[in-house]
Amino acid sequence: MNRTRNQSLLLYATIAAVCAFLLFPVYWLFNTALSSSAELQGLPPSFWPEPMHWEIFAKVVEERAIFQWLGNSTIVAVGSVLLSMFVSVLAGYSLSRYQVRGSNSMGVFILTAKMLPATLMVIPLFAIFRSVGMIGSLWTLILAHTTLIVPFTTWMLKGYFDTIPRELEQAAMVDGCSPLGALWRVILPVSAPGLAATALYAFVLSWADYAYARTFLTNAQNNWTANLGITSMKGEYITDWNEIAAASVIVAAPIIIIYLFLERHLVGGLTAGAEK
Amino acid sequence: MAIPRSQSGTTWFGLARPSRRHWLGYILLAPAVILVAVIIIYPLVVSVDLSFQKVGIARLDVARKPFTLANYEKLFLSPEFWKSCWITLKLVVTVTLLSMIVGLATALLVNNQFRGRTMARLFVALPWAVPEVIAVVIFSRFLDSSFGLINWLFITLGVTDELWGWFSDPTLAFWSIVMTMVWKGYPFISIMVLAGLQSIPVDFYNAAKVDGAGVWQRFRYITVPVLMPVLGVVTILVMLWVFRDFAIIKVLTDGGPIKSTQTLAILTYDQAFGFFNFGYASAVGVITLLICFIASYLMLGRQTKSMY
Repeated sequence: MNRTRNQSLLLYATIAAVCAFLLFPVYWLFNTALSSSAELQGLPPSFWPEPMHWEIFAKVVEERAIFQWLGNSTIVAVGSVLLSMFVSVLAGYSLSRYQVRGSNSMGVFILTAKMLPATLMVIPLFAIFRSVGMIGSLWTLILAHTTLIVPFTTWMLKGYFDTIPRELEQAAMVDGCSPLGALWRVILPVSAPGLAATALYAFVLSWADYAYARTFLTNAQNNWTANLGITSMKGEYITDWNEIAAASVIVAAPIIIIYLFLERHLVGGLTAGAEK
Repeated sequence: MAIPRSQSGTTWFGLARPSRRHWLGYILLAPAVILVAVIIIYPLVVSVDLSFQKVGIARLDVARKPFTLANYEKLFLSPEFWKSCWITLKLVVTVTLLSMIVGLATALLVNNQFRGRTMARLFVALPWAVPEVIAVVIFSRFLDSSFGLINWLFITLGVTDELWGWFSDPTLAFWSIVMTMVWKGYPFISIMVLAGLQSIPVDFYNAAKVDGAGVWQRFRYITVPVLMPVLGVVTILVMLWVFRDFAIIKVLTDGGPIKSTQTLAILTYDQAFGFFNFGYASAVGVITLLICFIASYLMLGRQTKSMY
């Protein structure tokens, strides 16, 4: 398709405008973090802080246990992603390749599990964890996030394995691989983009949780996750916008960086097959 | 290709032989089934059980309270519950509609061939990676009644001449949630639609062009049919997300002012952990789940048909 010069210009202008509009909130977060308190409480709002107050980051890190929050969020996310990926790779593969009795109802069940509201699940989980004295421990979150993640990852991986031709592992087995060997040596490497996309998705699900963290960990300050820390700041310091914005930047940074590196897997990985 | 040596191995594991395929399939499924039974089904049973008891802060190591339907009676007679249903419905419809529009438009826009397309795709879907709680921080700053950007903009543009209290007026509070949710929700739609668009082989378009199909016809007869199933699934997922969302509403408005943004999810949570009525809260939660259930299957039923 060849466009005229004007059409291209129009396309570029539209795309630039749309991106600018949609990403404006992210810019505004940075702008808020780097502004002085005076600038934040004056009108018209300053669109470009002068000078930029980078020292706010040092101040926030010093005054708040941000790295501890990030560490806790990471432990929980990595733990729940590993646990979920392990069970759902096997389950997704089984659902994709074997006609297990009840596999249809399994599919329906997984879809149903995706619908479970966290606000419903948090009640019995609280009762259960309280009875075994686990409230306040990071394990509660690892398990609770797994309930969020497993239904999604199993379904995503099943769909992904479905796009991979069976001939691939049949060839491997003909060449002497065991079925698990074929899964490990042939299917998983071919599915790398799909696995990456799924794991990224799972990581974001865990990182984003607020309901479980708030319920299980509010009284255990040392185990606060990043989101819990941020909301605690929002509660107390409604006017210190630069501090809470700076903390938000630090908390959002890891997940945004991961996203920037893995996005092509996320978009491509959902549909790309085994042709490579 | 040496076949005879390894064929005895494959027969056992069924993949190559459709007739014998059982036990490995079950073994692979077992860890997931066990995990799901322990951390999803068992808690679910507990919550249904709780919903039939008059119980405050529940523990499992004490005797259960007697069976009662009081929670459900209270629920259906409570105007608060019906109001929450209505608010939830309004929110689901508004947010889903708006984020579908934004998501579809951005996906179609970025799917054009142009230099820097990879970059543009990356940025268009970026809010997907911003945690909900942080989106709330951003939008509460935007909507701050005295120094927020939005109020300043509206006054400067002459939309209004007074400062709007975004979190003290029920209607405005509703729209503040809509804005935040649309910004958080549209990227998922873009991502999924882009993936759908990518799955269309260029050959289709070329073949159609050779046969003399114009731009509109190619869109109508190739793009739209391929996207329909994707859109169906995406709509359901977005609706479910709005229906059940907790973080955005809890942190942005806390269900207020005067409970005007109290969705079913917020009602459930506040009953459990604000008023410590675990029994009643479970009843609200169970009803919420049933609504999710019925609505999704009604839509999914239509969906699966349209896919074939």
